[in-house]
Amino acid sequence: MEIVQSGDFSPAGELYDRYAKRVYNHSYRFLGNREAAEDATQEVFVKMMRHANQFRNGAPLLRWLLSITGNHCRDKLRSLRVRPTHGEDGLELVPAPDDLSPERDLERQDAERIVQEALTRLEPDQREAIVLSRYEGCTYAQIALISGCSEGAVKTRVFRAMNVLKKALTRDAQETTNA
Amino acid sequence: MPDCDAMIENMPMLLTESLDPVQRELTHQHIETCPKCAREWAAYKETWQTLDTLPELEVPARVKQRFLAEIDPDLRTNVVPFRSGRAARWLAQAAAVVIVAGGAFYAGNRLAPRFRPTPTGVELIGAQTLPPATPYYSIAETRVLPAASINPQIEGRPDIQNVQFTDASASSDQIGVSFDITSHVTVTGRPTDKSMVSLLRYVLENEDRESPSRSRAIDWVRATYSRLDKPDPQIAEALANVLRNDQHQGVRINAADTLQSMQSAMTDSTRDALVEALKNDPNPAVRLKAVEALAKLARSGAVLDPEMVDTLQKKASQGDENVYVRVKAAEALRSIQPR
Repeated sequence: MEIVQSGDFSPAGELYDRYAKRVYNHSYRFLGNREAAEDATQEVFVKMMRHANQFRNGAPLLRWLLSITGNHCRDKLRSLRVRPTHGEDGLELVPAPDDLSPERDLERQDAERIVQEALTRLEPDQREAIVLSRYEGCTYAQIALISGCSEGAVKTRVFRAMNVLKKALTRDAQETTNA
Repeated sequence: MPDCDAMIENMPMLLTESLDPVQRELTHQHIETCPKCAREWAAYKETWQTLDTLPELEVPARVKQRFLAEIDPDLRTNVVPFRSGRAARWLAQAAAVVIVAGGAFYAGNRLAPRFRPTPTGVELIGAQTLPPATPYYSIAETRVLPAASINPQIEGRPDIQNVQFTDASASSDQIGVSFDITSHVTVTGRPTDKSMVSLLRYVLENEDRESPSRSRAIDWVRATYSRLDKPDPQIAEALANVLRNDQHQGVRINAADTLQSMQSAMTDSTRDALVEALKNDPNPAVRLKAVEALAKLARSGAVLDPEMVDTLQKKASQGDENVYVRVKAAEALRSIQPR
């Protein structure tokens, strides 16, 4: 990053290769839409290059990137009301591994859709907290730094998010819905 | 009796391993005695596990192309000529080009190579691929290389720091330039390749202790190696060392849990680590995972040595031990075969 800060963008490809997968997956889980996640990933890396002078050397670069990603995704959800498309349009799900039977693949797609739909029921701040905690393995202190809030706020967001998700994802909840 | 609402509020923090040890113990004890909270806890755990259904996606290649195309004008206008950078950078380039050392032969022998590329096994990929004649790529803390073995073409902008120089002497015209360099290296191979196992063992045992990435490494190792009929015992031993030494209770819980899924890779040393954790770990959740692993081992028909049996007996009857740990210890005792 020091090189980028000096005005030389030549490490762009290398930095992208190192962190793009994390940024893309974080965006996908946040926005629930692959196309929007692609745009977000591109935007985040462009912002990283153009605002490199705001990066504090010595700090973890991934944390800074996740912070930019969070801001970008929250803005998207709030201003454009990006919602994942369900039902007939369907979420763009991951292609099935070759060794998966069609039945198993359908089950897998259903399971993914249910989780992604459940995540979209959360407020953006709650969604960011749960995604960082569950998928990035961040501690509450790290989430607070990335999201720019207090640890207490993170605790509340995760608690509220888990209660919403519990209603959507547990077997009892599913059986009640199906009944 | 603690308030159920307060206990339920603690549950997400129990899942994310964010509770302090006292609250953790209190919450676990309450869950064991309160059916309503036990149901809530089961629902939280089910939710947490279900979230794992979302897979890791690969980034479509077009995203990188679009990103590089967008910054390309900046790339052209902002490139700083290499020589106009700071003096250290100039020295760094010189350092990478001219690496000559009188002690190359000695050090080359001292630093034994560890990774051998084969057509189907471990190989080094990335910005620079070693020529086929190179027998090994050594992942080492320090190494000395003769200039003749270095490609004069420097690829990308490697971060080179701490540059030092060695002068020629009266008896030798060899000069030396040494430096620290950070490269991003990808090693590919089968899970059973010895080099891959050694590398993963190193990652598990030496990764930054303050980072949650060690838990992620354990998750990945579990997903990859628990599918194998007989995972390499080195992996189990690395997990045992994590269980013995890691300061973070969540990491130790994860290590013990993963060991449970690798029964066929367990050695005496691995089993000892589980017994030590059951005896001495200050965290009841770690002790619980350790006793569960030993109970599973006993159920599988493995012969447990007298010390293990003794520890299980003590735990099963220890009044101040966590109830669930006691129950699991008794369960293990019912199925063991003394040696």
